[in-house]
Amino acid sequence: MRLVRRETPLKGGQVRAFAAGVVIALVLGAILLVSTGHNPAEVYAKMLDASLGSPRGWSATLTRAVPLGLAGLAVAVAGSMGLWNIGAEGQLIAGAIGAAWVARFGGDWNGFVLITAMLLGAVVGGALIALGPALARARLGVNEIITTLMLNEVAIRVVRYLVNGPWKDPEGNNFPVAPELPPQSALPGFFERANIGVLIAAAVIGAVGFYSARSAWGYELKIAGSSAKAAEYVGISLKAKILTVLVLSGAIAGLAGGIELTGSSTRLVEGVGGGFGFAGIIVAALALMRPSGVAAVAVAFGAVQIGGGAIQTLGVPASIAGILQALILFGALGAAVLTNYRVVVK
Amino acid sequence: MSRAELVGLLISVISFGTLLYLAALGELIAEKSGVLNLGVEGTMAMGGVTGFLIGVQSGSAWFALLIAALVGAVFASIHGIVSVVMGADQVVSGLALTILGLGLSAFLGKDYVSSAPGAKFNAINLGPLSDLGVVGETLFSMNGVSWLAIALGIATWFMLSRTRMGLSLRAVGESAATADAAGTPVVLTRMIAVAIGGAMAGMSGGYLTLVLAPGWNEGTTAGRGWIAVALVIFGAWKPGRVLFGALLFGGLIALEPRLQTLGLDVSPILMSMVPYLLTIAVLIVLSIRSRNRPSVAPAAIGLAFRREER
Repeated sequence: MRLVRRETPLKGGQVRAFAAGVVIALVLGAILLVSTGHNPAEVYAKMLDASLGSPRGWSATLTRAVPLGLAGLAVAVAGSMGLWNIGAEGQLIAGAIGAAWVARFGGDWNGFVLITAMLLGAVVGGALIALGPALARARLGVNEIITTLMLNEVAIRVVRYLVNGPWKDPEGNNFPVAPELPPQSALPGFFERANIGVLIAAAVIGAVGFYSARSAWGYELKIAGSSAKAAEYVGISLKAKILTVLVLSGAIAGLAGGIELTGSSTRLVEGVGGGFGFAGIIVAALALMRPSGVAAVAVAFGAVQIGGGAIQTLGVPASIAGILQALILFGALGAAVLTNYRVVVK
Repeated sequence: MSRAELVGLLISVISFGTLLYLAALGELIAEKSGVLNLGVEGTMAMGGVTGFLIGVQSGSAWFALLIAALVGAVFASIHGIVSVVMGADQVVSGLALTILGLGLSAFLGKDYVSSAPGAKFNAINLGPLSDLGVVGETLFSMNGVSWLAIALGIATWFMLSRTRMGLSLRAVGESAATADAAGTPVVLTRMIAVAIGGAMAGMSGGYLTLVLAPGWNEGTTAGRGWIAVALVIFGAWKPGRVLFGALLFGGLIALEPRLQTLGLDVSPILMSMVPYLLTIAVLIVLSIRSRNRPSVAPAAIGLAFRREER
């Protein structure tokens, strides 16, 4: 038995690979659940019901899909040019810090002005922390994988420092939290538990997807991603492209942090990153760096996470959500081999 | 600082250095063969949870450490199968391994979060040598794992630079197609390198939960796996320099809780960023230097190998 490369990849292969990944993850997850004394059918039914079984469930799932989708989009924008932004987690945190900074030092504004300013602060925060790796890559050719990865750990510690030190809430019973945000900073509701962050994220993903598919900018990006030589030959400035793409990527991840803070939280806390930046990398990889796919995978992962949180009442740890997400990726990566290769038995 | 405090600090430096060196050495071996493994953090967590559980069950620390290493090797092999055999992207596969490891370790260790440690290592008695002042007292308190880490470092250096096996491994990491043409089994070599790397990360995790901070808690690895990835770059892919880096970064971690007693008005949280920032600085310096001379990084790192595509 051996693998032979197909002349053309299987049509619709990635959708099939994703479906196969989900099936593989569910089977492996079921084995894990059975071996620890749980009933997989009951657990999966509860996960499905809690995440997609009601309007309320859908609202929670879509809310969770917002940071996953925006972080995924951030990774995908960089990935479409062949760059790896592993720092979405740190940029998301920097975005939340930027938004919190605006709320802390801004004026006594009404809700609309305050929220707009906070989200702008988030975009700037995410872009600023991405600027260093972007400059280092564009000017000096420094590998962006490692620099963005390292800055995740730096951002985690910056927010830890802030909520344990200068920004610590004096009335927080000594908990490491920043003071509560003003009530008018909360994003207005959309339906059930979801807020308009869902609409903002959908608009951003749609706009970036449309622009990168239809504009000259997006086309140049693809050329630069497939061949640096070809790009330089037709007069595309690689340095400028790298710089703008990585900073844009950081800004999008930063926006995710801003929406998390104004939409799903009432104050800046240490765990504001929530692992969304790391999960976003898997989301982007499963979507093959395409914005439309990012939205779909983000909703699926949102459902897994919300479902994972709901089964704690059955005595199953919420960590099953992370396990399933990673298994979906491994399953899909394995299945994707079959979209490019045929198995020949002889 | 009193004499006892100084010895305490030095022991802490060596302990954290051991933790970081084991994991970084494993990552170095994998990277030398051309495989970037960003799954170290998750592999450490898996080694940590199994090491602790086996320690509680068996009462033998060395046996627990061995199992932690085996689990690390098997776990990292997932990354090997997906990225080396199937040719998937190494960055994505490695990160997924970390997410899987953090989730799975939390799942498996749930019932052991408040368990008391079941096994510990004893210091190796150096006899009369332990009377040699502060140094003797420090070395006297080192347990076998630290000595093992040093031995593994020397063995790795010897293997990479003095043996045929090491030559093959480096050849695969520099140019897989050339090594393949010369008859070196590329996929097998990389799989073995990834498994050995995983074993060391697993051992590092076991050392964490058995020795450094006895006990199990979700998130106990606290980003140390990422420091191991950083150390390989900081040490320019050389076992000796990585050891220096491990002691330096381990020293910084050891200083964190002692800053106040030393009268230094620095936030320990801010200081814990230093290893990551130093690594970025080193990366920039390496990039500027490599404009005039060959890069120190393995050339084929991150590249999948498929024979029909070379």
